[in-house]
Amino acid sequence: MNEPKNKRPVIVGLFILTGIFFLIGGILIIGNLHSTFSKKISISTVFDNVNGLQPGNNIWFSGVKIGTVKKIEFFGMSQVKVIMNINNESKQYIRKDAKVKISTDGLIGNKILVIYGGTFSSPEIEEGDTLLNEKILSTEDILNTFQQNNLNVLALTKKLAAGEGTIGKLLNNDSIYYNISETIKSLQKASENAQVLLASLSNFSEKMNTKGTLANDLVTDTSVFYSLKTSVLNFQRISDSATVFVNNLKIATDNTKSPVGILLHDEQTGTDLKTTISNLKTSSEKLDKDLEALQHNFLLRRYFNKEAKKNKKQ
Amino acid sequence: MINSIPRKYLFSKGVDQYFTEVYLAYKFVVRFFKEASRPPFHLREIINQCFEIGVKSLPLITLTGFIIGIVFTQQSRPSLSEFGATSWLPSLVSIAIVRALGALVTALICAGKVGSSIGAELGSMKVTEQIEAMEVSAINPFKYLVVTRVIATTITIPVLGLCCGFVALLGSYLNVHSFESTSIVSFFNNGFSTITFIDIFSSLFKSLAYGFTIGIVGCYKGYHAVKGTRGVGRAANQAVVLAMFLIFIEEVVIVQMANWIRYY
Repeated sequence: MNEPKNKRPVIVGLFILTGIFFLIGGILIIGNLHSTFSKKISISTVFDNVNGLQPGNNIWFSGVKIGTVKKIEFFGMSQVKVIMNINNESKQYIRKDAKVKISTDGLIGNKILVIYGGTFSSPEIEEGDTLLNEKILSTEDILNTFQQNNLNVLALTKKLAAGEGTIGKLLNNDSIYYNISETIKSLQKASENAQVLLASLSNFSEKMNTKGTLANDLVTDTSVFYSLKTSVLNFQRISDSATVFVNNLKIATDNTKSPVGILLHDEQTGTDLKTTISNLKTSSEKLDKDLEALQHNFLLRRYFNKEAKKNKKQ
Repeated sequence: MINSIPRKYLFSKGVDQYFTEVYLAYKFVVRFFKEASRPPFHLREIINQCFEIGVKSLPLITLTGFIIGIVFTQQSRPSLSEFGATSWLPSLVSIAIVRALGALVTALICAGKVGSSIGAELGSMKVTEQIEAMEVSAINPFKYLVVTRVIATTITIPVLGLCCGFVALLGSYLNVHSFESTSIVSFFNNGFSTITFIDIFSSLFKSLAYGFTIGIVGCYKGYHAVKGTRGVGRAANQAVVLAMFLIFIEEVVIVQMANWIRYY
C-alpha cells in the first residue's frame, strides 16, 4: 500500500500545532480572566491587619472584579501596606474618597478586597493614590463575640436553674404552676359557660326568628313598630304638656299676688289658714259630740235602734 | 608485601558500580547535548520518532485524560457538596489537572509505553551489534538513534500533556454539566480564574523535563544493554522504573521551584 511521502510530517505538524493551540488558548483565557494584557494603575491602602490577604487576590467594586492585589508589605511599625493593580477602564468609577475593606469570596472563599463608596463630587483615582479603609471584623472577633454570647447564655441558664428571675421562678416554683393550672381550669370553666351562653343566645335568636312571637313581631312586624312609635310620640306629647303645666304652676307659685302664690308665700295667710283649720277641727269635734247626743234623744232613738238591728241581721 | 596488592574495588562492587553508572549517565547526557548541537540534525528521523512516540500515543493519552477528568470530578463532588461548595468543582479540577495531573499522568503513561519501547528497541540493536554496524557504516549511531528519540520525546510529551489536560477538563465539564447544568463558558471561566501563568509554564516545563527524562533514560538503558536478549528485557524494565522514579523526583523539585517563584 503506497502512502504519501509526507504523511508523517503532516500528521506530526498537526499534532504539534494542536498542542500549541491548547497552550495559546490557555494563555489567552488566563490572560483575559486576569486582565494580564490590559493597562493598569497602581493604588494602595494601609491596614492594621490584612487577615491572610495574599498577592493575586481579587479586588471587587460593586461586585465586579476590577483588579488584583499586587504586593503586600509592612508599613511603619506594625501596619501593612497593600498595593493594588486596578484596571485602567475601571478607574473612572472609583473616586478618591472611596474606601477599601477586606472581605471573603463566599462564606469560606478566598480573601478579597472590596472598594466601596465614594462621591461623584470627588475626582477619580490616579496612579499612586492611597485610599482609606475600614477596620474589618476578623474571624477572631466574631469568635470572641460568640464566646461572649455563650458566657451570657451560661449565666442565664445558671440563673434559670437556680430559680432566679421571673422565668426561673416560673420554671422552678410549683405554686406558680398550680396557680396557672387553676387559672387554666377557670378559663376552661369560663369557656364552658360561654358555650352554654352561646347556646342560650342561639336558642334566643332562634325563638326571635320564630314567627308570631312578640320578639319576632317587635323585630319584624312593621305595624307593631308603628304602634310603638305612635305610643312613644303620645308619651312625648304628654311629657311636653306636663312640662308646660309644671312651668305654668311654677309661674303661678312664683307670683305672690295669685291665690296659690299667696297661700305659698304669705305667712299671715298661712297662719290664718292654720287657725281656720284648727277652728274647723274644734267645730267638727263639737258637732260630733252633738250628733252623738242627738242619737240618744228620745225623738230619734227609735230610728237608730232600728238601723242597728238591721245591720246586725245582715 | 601486603600493601602492594591493588584493591579490586574502591568501596565495594555494588557501590562502585552505582557510581560508575552515575558517571556513565552523566557522560551520556553531556554527549547528547554535544551531539544535539552539531549538524546533521536528522530532521526526518526526528519527525518519524515524533510520529511513533507522540501521534501513536495520542489516543491512549486522550482516553486516559478524559477518564481522569470524569473520575476526579466525580470523586471530589461528595466532599465539596458536604459544604455546599460544588460550584468550586471547576476550580478544583482545573488546578489539579493543570498544575499536576495532566503532565504527570502523561509522563507516567509515556514512561511505560515509550520508555520501554525505546529501551527494548535500542537494547536489541545493541545486543545484535546493529549499533556497531552503524558506526562501521560511518553513521553516528548516537546522533541517529539517541538524539532523535530524546528530542522527539522532549517535544511530543509536552504536547501530549496539553492534549491530556484539555481532554481531562472536557471530561470534567461533562460530569459537572450533567450534575450542575453549568455552561461551558462558566466552567472554563471558573476553572481558569484560579490558574496563573506560573501554573501553565511550570506544567509546561515539567512536561519538557519528563519528556527529556523518558527519552534519555530509555536511550541510556537500551544503549548500554548487555548480555543478549535477557539484557534487552532488563533494559526495557529499568528504563520504565528509572524514568518513573526520576519523574516523581522532578515533580517534587519543580513544584517546589514553582512555589518559590509564585510566592517570591
